[in-house]
Amino acid sequence: MASSSSSGLTFKLHPLVILNISDHYTRVKSQAQSPPSAVNGGEATSPPPRVFGCVIGVQSGRTVEIFNSFELLYYPSTNSLDRSFLEKKQELYKKVFPNFYILGWYSTGSDAEESDMHIHKALMDINESPIYVLLNPSINHAQKDLPVTIYESVEAERISVDHVAHLKPSDGGSAATQLAAHLTGIHSAIKMLNSRIRVLHHYLLAMQKGDIPCENSLLRQVSSLLRRLPTIESEKFQDDFLTVSAFNS
Amino acid sequence: MDIEQRQAEHIEYFVKQASTHNGASLANVVTQATSHSSLFAFSEIIAVPSVHELQGTENSVYLDLLKLFAHGTWSDYKSNAGHLPQLVPDQILKLKQLTVLTLAEINKVLPYDMLMQELDVTNVRELEDFLINECMYVGIVRGKLDQLRRCFEVQFAAGRDLRPGQLGSMIQTLTNWYYFRF
Repeated sequence: MASSSSSGLTFKLHPLVILNISDHYTRVKSQAQSPPSAVNGGEATSPPPRVFGCVIGVQSGRTVEIFNSFELLYYPSTNSLDRSFLEKKQELYKKVFPNFYILGWYSTGSDAEESDMHIHKALMDINESPIYVLLNPSINHAQKDLPVTIYESVEAERISVDHVAHLKPSDGGSAATQLAAHLTGIHSAIKMLNSRIRVLHHYLLAMQKGDIPCENSLLRQVSSLLRRLPTIESEKFQDDFLTVSAFNS
Repeated sequence: MDIEQRQAEHIEYFVKQASTHNGASLANVVTQATSHSSLFAFSEIIAVPSVHELQGTENSVYLDLLKLFAHGTWSDYKSNAGHLPQLVPDQILKLKQLTVLTLAEINKVLPYDMLMQELDVTNVRELEDFLINECMYVGIVRGKLDQLRRCFEVQFAAGRDLRPGQLGSMIQTLTNWYYFRF
């Protein structure tokens, strides 16, 4: 089933995933239920336990296709997932389905909760924008659709960086604001570059002094890199470059 | 960077070979190393003690050969051929490849005429084939061939072994770069 999303992504959810999550929930729930007492007919009074797992599949272009899922070990006391278990499962699934990546995670319940963000962020080092699939296991006979919701990551930071990188001030600003945005981006990039150069500089100095043994392979690579300087060498460039800098200050 | 990754295992292999051989068999190792299609760096082999000990022996020309491949060019070989072992075709090819790397160090744009002269190539077609097949496809240079202006614009060239004193000038270049002084 496809759905609209704010980021323009199209989602396809395979029935297997819905069955998996439902099955996971059902098994855990039935295992957690204490033996039925004769008096009240065996209904568990505490809220049913939530289950957690990963969803895997493929993302190509703007389409995210969720093919499969697997269960994860969750520690309610620390509200965290068992990391090594996750990685082990990931490795095993990668062997059988080499094309599938971890797209995000799933859980059960009627609504997304604040505490879910903790798990969501933990997954961000596997997938930079994970999706969250929520299955509502409570049976509602009036509901016609499947009780599944998919949440995407909202990345405020990325949006603003995007503006700078692509010269898109939110109000479509004047040429001056666009230039300022552009130059700010360049300034950050140069600062980063400069710190890298300093690291290289220190490293080479240490080699020259003999503080560290000379690493020939690295030295060859640095010499290859330095060969590329200066990247643009002409009077015209110098003039243009200086003109832009003067304009900015 | 890819070149360095690829040749790392060959460097390790030849360093091991060099440390376990002497005299004539070591000379053989040197010949193999300088003929190997994926090896373009020789500092590590030169640093092996048994190689250094070739100095002054009847096989010292092999040490000189290694130094030629580390820092020298095809022209250097020609002017000194009398004092060096005869080169086999694979060695000649490698020396010419290394020559291109040295030329790219000085200029980013290499005129065809200069390249043809340095590499002893008589026509443009042969030169372009060499640059494409033996240099770009091998991965030691990346660039653009400008047939109209008859030149080769080098965007990337692998680094050769460092010459004595080159470390100092590299540090100076880095200092200039950091402080934006050109």
